[in-house]
Amino acid sequence: MQQTLTLHDRDELLTPLYQFDRKFWTTIAALVLVIAPGILLYIRQLVLGLGVTDLNRPVFWGAYLVNFIFLIGVSMAGTVISATLLLLKVNWRRPITRIAESLTVFGLMTAGLQIIMDMGRPDRLVFTLLYGRLQAPLMWDIASLTLYLLTAIFALYLQLLPDIALLRDTAPATAPEWRKKLYTILSLNWRGNKEQWTRLEKAMLVVSIFIIPIGISLHTVTSWLFSTTVQPGWKSTILGPYFVVGAIYSGIGLLFIATTFARYYNKHLKEYITEKFYENLGWFFIVMSGVWFYFTLNETLVATTEQETLEFPVVAAKLFGEFAPAFWGMNLLMIAATWILVAPKFVSDKPSRNLFLQTTTGLAATAISVVIFALLSLRLPALSDPNLQTGLLLAFFLFFLLALLGVTKWLKTRLITATVIASAFVLFGMWLERWNVLMPTLTHARLAPYTTYHPTVTEIAVTISTFGILTLMFVVFYKFFPSVSVWEVEEGRALEQGSGD
Amino acid sequence: MNFPLEQPIFQFFYWLVNTPGVGAGVVGLLVGAAITTFALTLRWIASAKDVEQEAYPYPPKL
Repeated sequence: MQQTLTLHDRDELLTPLYQFDRKFWTTIAALVLVIAPGILLYIRQLVLGLGVTDLNRPVFWGAYLVNFIFLIGVSMAGTVISATLLLLKVNWRRPITRIAESLTVFGLMTAGLQIIMDMGRPDRLVFTLLYGRLQAPLMWDIASLTLYLLTAIFALYLQLLPDIALLRDTAPATAPEWRKKLYTILSLNWRGNKEQWTRLEKAMLVVSIFIIPIGISLHTVTSWLFSTTVQPGWKSTILGPYFVVGAIYSGIGLLFIATTFARYYNKHLKEYITEKFYENLGWFFIVMSGVWFYFTLNETLVATTEQETLEFPVVAAKLFGEFAPAFWGMNLLMIAATWILVAPKFVSDKPSRNLFLQTTTGLAATAISVVIFALLSLRLPALSDPNLQTGLLLAFFLFFLLALLGVTKWLKTRLITATVIASAFVLFGMWLERWNVLMPTLTHARLAPYTTYHPTVTEIAVTISTFGILTLMFVVFYKFFPSVSVWEVEEGRALEQGSGD
Repeated sequence: MNFPLEQPIFQFFYWLVNTPGVGAGVVGLLVGAAITTFALTLRWIASAKDVEQEAYPYPPKL
């Protein structure tokens, strides 16, 4: 396959890799500030023990495990989306595949950290291997996670190989020697001859076929793990597919945010990651939103209808009890995200004098609805009157609707902004979904007195730190390797021009 | 009535799923097989010889 690299591509994709400007160092400094408190508080946890968290029996899994499931979910989607688009030979996938695959690797690495953080004695981690039995669901999780991480690293490396050779051969004279050496070692003597291209594409195809079931196994194994504990709310056959759907849904959200972040970081990427990608993957995002709503309804409706003695308190805690703000907050975020993605497609972009379609109306209504939601969530004694609560609920729905209507026209001409806002809502909503799966069950466990769980400063700081580490990995990795797959973009261009083989 | 665990095959399965440490052994085998496959695939790609003397695209002609 004949590849051509233009001077333009080299300037835009490779030159920034050698420029450590102020923007880069400011980002690193900001991320260190975000990560540092979490690390310090984790060291404190290591010294003092899990008593500094709110973890206790029967709530032995808290914010750390919520992070674990959330990160497993978002990371599952990256490589699975990339592999699916590759198998379907979708051409617009080319500029985003690398970001998608790297998100999987970094997501899984940070997810693994959560398990260690959840242990009071991480030095005993080795015991899970030394004394692990095959019948233990934890072993299935370890097997699935390790296999997926290794396969994802391999898939990313395969896709990087021609670009590493490119970096090796085009490194500027001013580039540090260690960096040139690194590219030489990692390029594995890649020469780009026809046989190497053929073998690389065969290997990528086989990995793409295998990685989809491995990815699905990873997230369903987590739901099996829950089911085998025989706790109310977790003995559900829907949990496996529900987790997978949620994973793909949130994974697309993270992919949108990561690509937009990369575009902001390197302005030239706007030429490669165009609005076409947001438009096309956005449709799939909308479909996943519909499937997610169906599963949420299914999961809630079954438990509500059967009113089983152990199950119902868990559902009631979500619908009306202490977890109601998280449960309804999750649903409202998802409704808002779906509206943001869908509604702008059905309004005209001509200016309107309709008061309900003004941005100022939308923003004012958003602020009022947030205040009412907060008031309802706080359960203030002064607002305990049922009539007052009903009035507040009706007012909330009215302002929520006005908020959605008001921002629609503004979003019409801002596809990327709309997608990023929707993605942020979906990510936060999905974190809450993981919270809503775990915490109501653990606080209403079988054969144990009901209890409460409120994450402490340590758990909150470690959670923030985790997302900081994920971002740091992303920023540092893309200072060494191009965030857009140069060879795939070139190949795509050649195919579009009809000159590719 | 035959009890399944009287049969060696079921005794083996019982040993396989219940013995501490065997789980890690199975995971190790799985991971070892994956790493070996990936390493051999990379070697297979790297060792490909240019049979038709195709034009070498790297470094690119700028």
